[in-house]
Amino acid sequence: MPSAARAYSRRDTVLFVSCIVVALAAIQLPDRVRDPFASALRQSILAPLVSLQSDAEQSRRSWLTREVREAQRDSIALRAMSLDASLADNNRLCKLLGLGEALRWGFVPAEVLQGRGVGEEYTVVLSVGAKAGIRPFSPVVAPEGLVGMVKSVDPTMSIAIAWAHPDFRVSAMTVDTAAYGIVGAHLGSEPERYLLEMRGVTMRSNLKPGTLIVSSGLGGTFPRGIPVGTVIAEVKTSELWARTYLLRPAVSPADVSDVMVLLPARTTAGVQSVWKVGTYADSAVKSIVAAGDSLGRLQARKDSAALPRDTSGRSVMMAPVTTSPQREAKPARTPFTTPTTPAAPAAPTTTTP
Amino acid sequence: MRPTDFFRTLIAFIILVMLHYTLRPLLGWRPGPDFLVIATLLVAIRVRPGAAALIGLCVGLVSDSVDVHVFGAGALAMSMIGFTASWLKAVFFADDVLLNALFFFLGKWAFDIIYVLAGHRGDFAQMAIQLFVWSPLTAAVTALFGLVTLLILRPVLRASPT
Repeated sequence: MPSAARAYSRRDTVLFVSCIVVALAAIQLPDRVRDPFASALRQSILAPLVSLQSDAEQSRRSWLTREVREAQRDSIALRAMSLDASLADNNRLCKLLGLGEALRWGFVPAEVLQGRGVGEEYTVVLSVGAKAGIRPFSPVVAPEGLVGMVKSVDPTMSIAIAWAHPDFRVSAMTVDTAAYGIVGAHLGSEPERYLLEMRGVTMRSNLKPGTLIVSSGLGGTFPRGIPVGTVIAEVKTSELWARTYLLRPAVSPADVSDVMVLLPARTTAGVQSVWKVGTYADSAVKSIVAAGDSLGRLQARKDSAALPRDTSGRSVMMAPVTTSPQREAKPARTPFTTPTTPAAPAAPTTTTP
Repeated sequence: MRPTDFFRTLIAFIILVMLHYTLRPLLGWRPGPDFLVIATLLVAIRVRPGAAALIGLCVGLVSDSVDVHVFGAGALAMSMIGFTASWLKAVFFADDVLLNALFFFLGKWAFDIIYVLAGHRGDFAQMAIQLFVWSPLTAAVTALFGLVTLLILRPVLRASPT
């Protein structure tokens, strides 16, 4: 602090009084004069100070809201993580809806309860049983193709063997019927254990990799035309009169959570119109997915049209309608059908040779 | 005032004004430190009372322009405490921590009293709470920060040997 005291003169008094007068005059200024004056000061010589103050306040606000922002970011990340699973579920359900639309009748949707115990690697438990019309040897299918076959049936549940089971067999053929064979599990070591083998193909039939193999319908258990797998390569065996091919299965049982069980009447009627198979399996799956999407759009239009409207023309939300999860075999009233859907044939023709 | 002392005081003044518009909003305390009062008091004790009143008027107008509540009230209050501080500087010339703290405390409280009374802000109860609760708190915080500022700026504010 300075130690020297200065003289106090009349000039200081005059200056002080002048300052007080100016300050009092500033207080009494009307708004129309005061605001433009203050605004002019803020926009000119005080602009740096105003900018500093604004930046400091923003910094403080950012600091105070950082925890909220972190929480929001975590929530968004969590949602993004669950979004993949939701998309996968949506995709799977679309496919299943498409399959239901394509089958139209004679099937029972079932939930797969995976068995993961010892000896249960190749079997699955289905959430439907004899009460729903399930019978032993009923084919179990997914939108991608054949999953397996029902082995035993309880009133409310059933056990099916997947194609990877050692006892599983299906008569199969190429789409152009040029080659036939018996498809079963490839009993090799991991990871080839989860492939299929097509045995007994005639020597003159040379199948190229990627060729689609479908069920032939021979034997009566599986209807004709269900995708089984695609050819990977030929397996060299000791058999001289027939070829054996390694197949990539159309369905991975580990990834299946919902399936359709075909009822005996549907098996007899055939499913050749369901998987519109071309040479390759992708086209069949795409057609089913497209059916599911179009079904969703149709259903959305129906729901929208069915909503009652208030006087302003807006839709009024209603309580959801509970529907049965199971679609029984009712040819006259088919699942996933619209009023324009034609009824299924009352007496399906038998295609089993 | 010697030119060297003038520039040193000017630097300290600018630093304090900067702190008022950066550190104070950053802290966001209701009883926040008033660096403008500290700056005015620091300059006032180094100049004549008339000049101190003029500086106080300018600082007050700056304050009123940036934070427009009662335009002119800040200028009036700052002029009065600037003039008074310069007039009473003989009392506070000693380099004593408690005296300096009291100097800042009284200066800030006097500023608030003049500012609130000149502005007629709120009803009587609100004014009383402001003047006897918040203003002493703000004055105490200002005194604390004023002391810290004095310690930090001591090399700058030390008078040149004559």
